[in-house]
Amino acid sequence: MIKLLKRFVIYVLLFFLCLELLVRIFHLHNERPVRFLDDRQVERWMSNQEDYSVVGNRRQNVGHYRINSFGFNSVYDQYDIKDPEKYIALVGDSFIEGFHQDYHRSLGQKIERSLGDSIKVYEFGYAGYDLADQLHLIQAYRDIFKEMDHVVIYMRFTDDLERSEYKHSNRLSLDTPISRLAKHVKSIVYLKDIGLVDPITKSLSRVLSLFAEGSRTRKLSSTPIVKDTYATRIQNFKILVDQYGYDKQKNVLLLDYSLCPNQFLSFLDENKFKSIDFGKDLNDSELPTTLIYDQHWNDNGRQLIAELVAEYVRSTY
Amino acid sequence: MLFNSLDFFVFLPIVYLAYWIFFRETKQKNVWLLVASYLFYGWWDYRFLSLILISTLVDFIVGRAIYYSGSQQKKRLYLGISIGFNIGILVFFKYFNFFVDSFVASFAFFGFQLESSWMLKVILPVGISFYTFQTLSYSLDIYRRNLEPTNSLISFATFVAFFPQLVAGPIERASRLLPQIVNPRKFLYKQQIEGLRLMLWGLFKKVAIADALAPIVDDIFLNHASYPSSTLVLGALFFGFQIYGDFSGYSDIAIGTAKLFGIELMSNFKFPYFSRNIAEFWRRWHISLSTWFRDYLYIPLGGSKIRRIFVVRNIFVIFLVSGLWHGANWTYVVWGLFHAILFLPLFYLKSNRRYLGTSNVLKSFSNLLSEAPRMICTFSLVTLGWIFFRSETLSDAFCYFERLLLHFSWDSYLHPRGYRMIDYYILLTCFVLFEYGIRKDERNPLGFKYRFLRLVCYLCLLLLIILFYDDGVDRSFIYFQF
Repeated sequence: MIKLLKRFVIYVLLFFLCLELLVRIFHLHNERPVRFLDDRQVERWMSNQEDYSVVGNRRQNVGHYRINSFGFNSVYDQYDIKDPEKYIALVGDSFIEGFHQDYHRSLGQKIERSLGDSIKVYEFGYAGYDLADQLHLIQAYRDIFKEMDHVVIYMRFTDDLERSEYKHSNRLSLDTPISRLAKHVKSIVYLKDIGLVDPITKSLSRVLSLFAEGSRTRKLSSTPIVKDTYATRIQNFKILVDQYGYDKQKNVLLLDYSLCPNQFLSFLDENKFKSIDFGKDLNDSELPTTLIYDQHWNDNGRQLIAELVAEYVRSTY
Repeated sequence: MLFNSLDFFVFLPIVYLAYWIFFRETKQKNVWLLVASYLFYGWWDYRFLSLILISTLVDFIVGRAIYYSGSQQKKRLYLGISIGFNIGILVFFKYFNFFVDSFVASFAFFGFQLESSWMLKVILPVGISFYTFQTLSYSLDIYRRNLEPTNSLISFATFVAFFPQLVAGPIERASRLLPQIVNPRKFLYKQQIEGLRLMLWGLFKKVAIADALAPIVDDIFLNHASYPSSTLVLGALFFGFQIYGDFSGYSDIAIGTAKLFGIELMSNFKFPYFSRNIAEFWRRWHISLSTWFRDYLYIPLGGSKIRRIFVVRNIFVIFLVSGLWHGANWTYVVWGLFHAILFLPLFYLKSNRRYLGTSNVLKSFSNLLSEAPRMICTFSLVTLGWIFFRSETLSDAFCYFERLLLHFSWDSYLHPRGYRMIDYYILLTCFVLFEYGIRKDERNPLGFKYRFLRLVCYLCLLLLIILFYDDGVDRSFIYFQF
């Protein structure tokens, strides 16, 4: 039996070695950049990181990203402002961040190509950002945003209005020293991404929760129940706008109207909030507008939205 | 507990190490195996353990009663009790609603509306069709004087509930498995290695073939009315591979796991898709069930040594019952009928025993050229039959056939989750070629002569399991529902 166990252990080690090699050679793993919280309490990526974002067991979707010196995925290293050029800031979550595509084929680049050489689009996308994050970013870096001619804020009514105040998220806690160490073993990163580690972590947390049952019950009972209604979201929007400021002349919301209730659209209209609806164009498109493996916009989807934004910018001249 | 779950990967080493390290005596080993088997089964639903316990007790007592009864009449009576009990629980849990529903539907066909208030709200216990047939074989073998009853209830209970084959077979005969449980077992290195190899091969077939194809098959069969016929061909073809990978994968893991405990289970699959006619296919597909029906149904009905018309009746009976065994649905009955119809010409042409006893070893390339069309033809017919097997209802199956045969059109198919289809085509081609290469010995598929080649094979299979692992699929085995 000892011989059998020895051989078994050797084969398991060999297997993990081969897996590590395979994952590295074919870059099957997703390389996530490191995040941090800056001195203005804005969560960003650490500057100057460049790699590939990979989705799926067999590289179903690959995107080349490049984090600039400011901490966002962009072709521009710095946000320089020079007259007489016009500048557009594009603020949003993973759809704007664009790890699902090569950074030089981003939405911002497509808008630039539509509008010509005299306009530059600076992107401020970060996966998981909601309206509170976005408005906080604009307020914290008003020195940059005041130079912009237009600020396009991408927002999903169904997801991005769940809170009325900015607090830095628990996403930062994902970057623990252990996880940073584990990132160096690419096979672990890969196995985690394809869901093979989930059953182990779930089982472990189930076992741990048995010991922590009492304390968890107390915590749960003290958590207030938040009503997820349209009215609450609209109320959150009002509070956020009041608290962080909102330039109605410069800012424009990039919305999918089909996800917004009439109540919210009327509110925007009555209070002179500018908005662009991209939902109709995406729904009417004969070609697919999202990636198959991924929910994000594909090349066609981004092109359609870029044309809408460009059309809006042209209409303001 | 699924063979491809984390629970099993924790459960098996614990049971295995304790079995060989702590328990020296056969009795102790059997008690440990029994406890492990009940835990394994109770993991799904502990309430159904009572069914296995009752079934075990009934057949243990009846088996002894049959053996020690003086008169033939009493023996028959006791056998009747065993058959009545086992078939009774099978009918109650599996077929009652089906029969009531069919009864009501047939009355409705003639214009009489009946209330179907007799329908029962019961869950089908996992593996019921397998363990009831296994315990039945015990009583039948004793009745036929092929076997002496065991005096040990623990050994008998272990035979009934032996966890590797409890929920989806192979359906073992008492005359084969029980002596292995009663007699001492030794730790044999070669047997352990073969067991591990079979488990790896089975896991590959389950995860990289069956589970990987499942979303495609589900999508095509669910939306068959909107797909072109080229996609429907793909759906039927992929289901053929899915069910083979799923069930033969399970059987391989079961046989391999049993080997780890020093027990040899019978082979359940012998590369059936390389069969050269339907008769050969049935000698290679789900062997434990087809031989069970042959020994306990076909031969008692007279087998093939009676008038031709009765042999034809027997052929239809065995295929229809085999179809119905798979599930309480007319689709399975029609699937059985379809195979009976395919088998009948072979019987009349006396070709049904043509490849009997010949292993599928082709000696030369010209031999392969002459055999390949027969294999392809048999595979195509079997694949058509799978459409009945996989469809939810008979009308779905006929609709599938109608679109497949009468509205031929071609269009490329996109994976519902966005995976590249070419990956699957390459995987299946390699799988078929590899299976063809190892077809000489189904019990030792990775037993190559050269150690380096074996090592490469192990690593490739493990890597393919990971590359084709799909987090989002239901990982249970198809045959659990039977």
